[in-house]
Amino acid sequence: MESKVEEEASKSMFECCDIEYISYGGEHHLPLIMDLVDKELSEPYSIFTYRYFVYLWPQLSFLAFHQGKCIGTVVCKMGDHRGTFRGYIAMLVVLKPYRGKGIATELVTRSIKVMMESGCEEVTLEAEVTNKGALALYGRLGFIRAKRLFHYYLNGVDAFRLKLLFPRPESYFPDSLMTEGEPNYGHEHLEDDYHPLS
Amino acid sequence: MEETTLNSPITSCANQAVYTDVSSLLQSACEDLREGELIHAENFNLFAAMSALEIMDPKMDSGIIRTYFSVDEAIENGAAPVPLSLDRTTDVQRTIDIMDHLVACEATWHNGHSLVQTVFSCIYLLRTERTSSHPILHSYCRVMRATCHELISAATETQTNEEEDIFTMTHGLPLKGDGDDKCLSMLHAVDETVSRQLRAARSPSSKKRILEDIEPLQSNIDLEEGFCKALLCRLRFRKHFYHVLTCMRRPQGKGLESAGKHIVTCLSELDLMLKWEEFLKLNNFCGTDDNGRECKTTASGCQPVGFDSTLNSRLSAPTPPRAIKLLSWKQAIEYFRKLLRDLEVICSLTLDPILDNLLHFIVDFQKSRPDLVARTYLQLLLIQDGKLYGRNCIFDVVCMASQLPDSAKRHSIQNNEVVVQLGQLLLSLLKIICANTAWQRRKLGKILQDWRIIHVQLELAFRKEFGDLSSTLDDENLCSKICIHILNWIEELTYWIGSRFLMLGFDLELYSSSEYCMVYWYIYVILIKLAEKTHLKMISSSESNRRKGKKKKELLRDTLKDYRVPPSVSLLQCQIYVAEGLTLMLAALRNEKQTFQDPGLFNSEHEIFMQHFGLLQKACLPDHVFYSSFKEITSQASLPTIAMYNCFKDAQRIAKELRSSFSTDPVRMEELRRIEQVAERNDVALNVICRLGKLDPSLNVYFEFNHHPYFAIAVVKRS
Repeated sequence: MESKVEEEASKSMFECCDIEYISYGGEHHLPLIMDLVDKELSEPYSIFTYRYFVYLWPQLSFLAFHQGKCIGTVVCKMGDHRGTFRGYIAMLVVLKPYRGKGIATELVTRSIKVMMESGCEEVTLEAEVTNKGALALYGRLGFIRAKRLFHYYLNGVDAFRLKLLFPRPESYFPDSLMTEGEPNYGHEHLEDDYHPLS
Repeated sequence: MEETTLNSPITSCANQAVYTDVSSLLQSACEDLREGELIHAENFNLFAAMSALEIMDPKMDSGIIRTYFSVDEAIENGAAPVPLSLDRTTDVQRTIDIMDHLVACEATWHNGHSLVQTVFSCIYLLRTERTSSHPILHSYCRVMRATCHELISAATETQTNEEEDIFTMTHGLPLKGDGDDKCLSMLHAVDETVSRQLRAARSPSSKKRILEDIEPLQSNIDLEEGFCKALLCRLRFRKHFYHVLTCMRRPQGKGLESAGKHIVTCLSELDLMLKWEEFLKLNNFCGTDDNGRECKTTASGCQPVGFDSTLNSRLSAPTPPRAIKLLSWKQAIEYFRKLLRDLEVICSLTLDPILDNLLHFIVDFQKSRPDLVARTYLQLLLIQDGKLYGRNCIFDVVCMASQLPDSAKRHSIQNNEVVVQLGQLLLSLLKIICANTAWQRRKLGKILQDWRIIHVQLELAFRKEFGDLSSTLDDENLCSKICIHILNWIEELTYWIGSRFLMLGFDLELYSSSEYCMVYWYIYVILIKLAEKTHLKMISSSESNRRKGKKKKELLRDTLKDYRVPPSVSLLQCQIYVAEGLTLMLAALRNEKQTFQDPGLFNSEHEIFMQHFGLLQKACLPDHVFYSSFKEITSQASLPTIAMYNCFKDAQRIAKELRSSFSTDPVRMEELRRIEQVAERNDVALNVICRLGKLDPSLNVYFEFNHHPYFAIAVVKRS
C-alpha cells in the first residue's frame, strides 16, 4: 500500500518526548486513523479496508499523539504467505509538520517488534520508487528493495517491494558461518524479544 | 467479534447465477451487528475488503461521476454531432482536433492506461456507423479501431504478463466492426480526394478548379492549402502506421523490409504534423490562449468535441474510476517517434541464428527502455511456431550455440524428451528477456533453478542414451561431443542469466550503496565462472576445427603457438577486474573508514546477503560460494594492499589491448570504452584515497554511475 513519511527538516514546535505512542484501542481510534490516511495518501480506502486491519490485528496498529492530537499512525497485518509467516505494513502516515523527527521510525519499529515476537519470518511493504523518505527510513531498519513492481500504482508510478528478513536459526543458511563468529549477528538488545519460529 | 456465516441461496448455486432477494437477510444482519462489527466469512480477505465500495462516495462509486447515463443519451444531447459543424472550416478544424486527441489517447493507452478510459472515450469511435456521411472522420475512426485491434491481438498472442495486462483489456468494447478490414481503401480514397483539393488550391487559376469539378475542403480559400496538408499528414501517418504493424507480423520476418520503409514514412509524416502545428494554432476556432499550451492534447490548442471519459466508467468496474492524465499532443508525437525508432531497430535485425549475437541484441535493445508495443513485436518476430524467427529449429540453435558441427543437427537425440524440454526452456528465456526489466528480473531469478535442473536431467539422459560419458572422452565421437558441448553451454548460459539478474538490479535501482560491496563481489564470482565456461566452449570448438587433417604432434605444437584468449573472454576478464576492484575498494573503505555499512536494528548483513542472492544460492550459483566466502575476502581488504595489487590497472591494460578486436562491433566497442573509463577513474580515486585517506578524515567518498550503468566510479570530495 502506501506510506507518507518523508524526512523533512522542519522547525519543531515540540520536543520528541512530547509524543505519546498508543496501541490501537478500539472503535474511537478508527476515525483518527481514517482521517490521517485520507488526508495524506492518494488511494481511497473503504471503511472495510481499515476495519479489516484493525479488527484482525489491533496489536499491530499504533497511533502517535501530540498534545492530544493524533499526528501519525501505522496499520499492519500478518499471516501466511506461500508458506512463510509474514508481516505486512499497509499504511504509515505522519502529518507533514511532524516529519523528520523519527516518529515514523518509532511507529513502525513498534509494529515490527510485535511481528517479530509473534513469529514472523519477514516483513514486507510497498513504497513508491519516488518516495525517498520512506525508502531511507526502511533501509535504515534493514529492509532491502527486493523487487520493482512495474506501474504498480494507479498513477502509473513503479513501486519497490521492500523486505526485512529476520535472523533465523543456524540451520537455515547453507554455510556454517555462525560457528566462525559473526559479531553483528543477533543484536543483543533484541535477544530478549527474539523468539525464532518453532 | 461475532462470527456470522452466510447461508444464502446465492452461495450454494454460484455457478448458475440465480438472483435472490436478500433484503430480509440484510435487515436482520443490520439489527444483529453493532457499529464496527464485520461479517466474517472465509472468503472475506484483504482483496474483498479493498474491493468493497461505499455507495455514493465520489471517490469510490463509479456511477456517481458522469455526465450522461449512456452513449445514446450523450449523442441525443449533441455531445458528438455529425457533421461537426455546419460551417465547413470549423468542421475541418474540429476533425483535426479529434484526430490529435485520439493520438494523445492512443499514446496514453500504450503507456499503461486502459483502452476504455483513453481511445474509447471517443463517442465517434463507439458508434462509427454514425460517421459514414463524414468520410474523413469515418475512415480515420475505422483505421484507429483496426489499429487498436491489431495491437491487442499481437499483445495477446505474446501473452503479456500480468503487470501490463491492462493493455489488452477490452471490457467488451466494439473493437471489431464489419468492414474495418476495408479501412485502408477508405483511407486511400479520402487521401485521394484531399490530395486533389490540395492540388486545386495550389493551382493559380480558379478556372481549373471549376473544370475539374472539385469542391474545396472548406470555405476559406486562403487556408485551404494549410488545412489540406495538416489533414493529409495525419491520414497518412495512420495508414503507414497500420502498415508497419501488419508488415511486422508477417511470418519469418518477411515483412521487415517493407515495415522499415513504412516506418521512415511515418516518421516524416510526424515531422509534417509538427510543421503544421503553428498554422493550426494561428487558425483555430477557440481563440488564442497560451495558458497550459504544453499540456494541450491537440495541435490547435482547442478542446476536442465528442469525448467523454466518464461514459465507460461502469465498464471498468469493479475498479473505482480514477481520473487519468492524458499525454499532451506534443508528448504523444514524441512517444510515437520513440516507438517507431524502436521498431526500426527490430526491423534491422538480420535474423542471425547465433544465440550469443541474439542475446546481445536483445540486451542492447532493452537499454533504450522500449515500451510494451515494441517488445511485443520483437517477441513475435523471435518466436513463431516454436521456432526461432519461425524458421530455425530450436535444436539447431542449441547445436550452433554449443559450437557443435552441422552433423549434430540431424542426430536423433533431439527427439529425447529432456532435449525437447531444453528447447522449451530456451524459448521461454527468450520471451522473458523481451519483457519489461522489472518483471524480467523476477522471472530470471526463478528460472535459474530450472536451468540447473535441466543440466542434471540432461546429464542423466545422455548417460542413458550413450552410456558412461567418462569412458568416451574421445572428442571424435559425435555422441560424446554432443553431451560435453551442450552441457557446457547450459552452464555458460546459466551463468549468463545469473549475471543478467545481478546487473538488472542496477537498472531497477534495487541496491543501496551499503550493499554495493556484496553485489560487486557476487558479480565477480559469477563472471569468473561465465568466463571459464565461455573459454572452454571456444577452446573445444577451435580445437576440433584444427584437428581436421592434422597429426597429433602438429596439433600440440600449434595449440601452444597460436594460443590466444578469445576477445569475448578478455572482455569478461576486464569486467571481472573492475568488479573485483570495486569490491575491494568498498570493503577497504568500510574496514578503515567505517563507511558504506548499515547495521540494522532487526537483522544483519547476513540476512541482507541472503535476501539479495537467495535465488542464486538456492541454484548453487556458483557451487561452494557462501556468505562466509564473501566475508573472508572482504574482511581482510585494506587500502595499502589493494593499492599495490590494483585491479583497475589490469582492467585498463586488457581494455587497451582489446580495442582492435572489436573494431567492427560498435556495441562491444562502446562497452569497452566505458569499462576503460570506469577503471581509469577508479584507479585515480583509489590513489587519492590511499594518499590522503588516513590523514584527512574529512574526505568523503561516494559512488556514481555516469560512465557505466552497472560499474560505479568512486568520487572523492572534501566535506
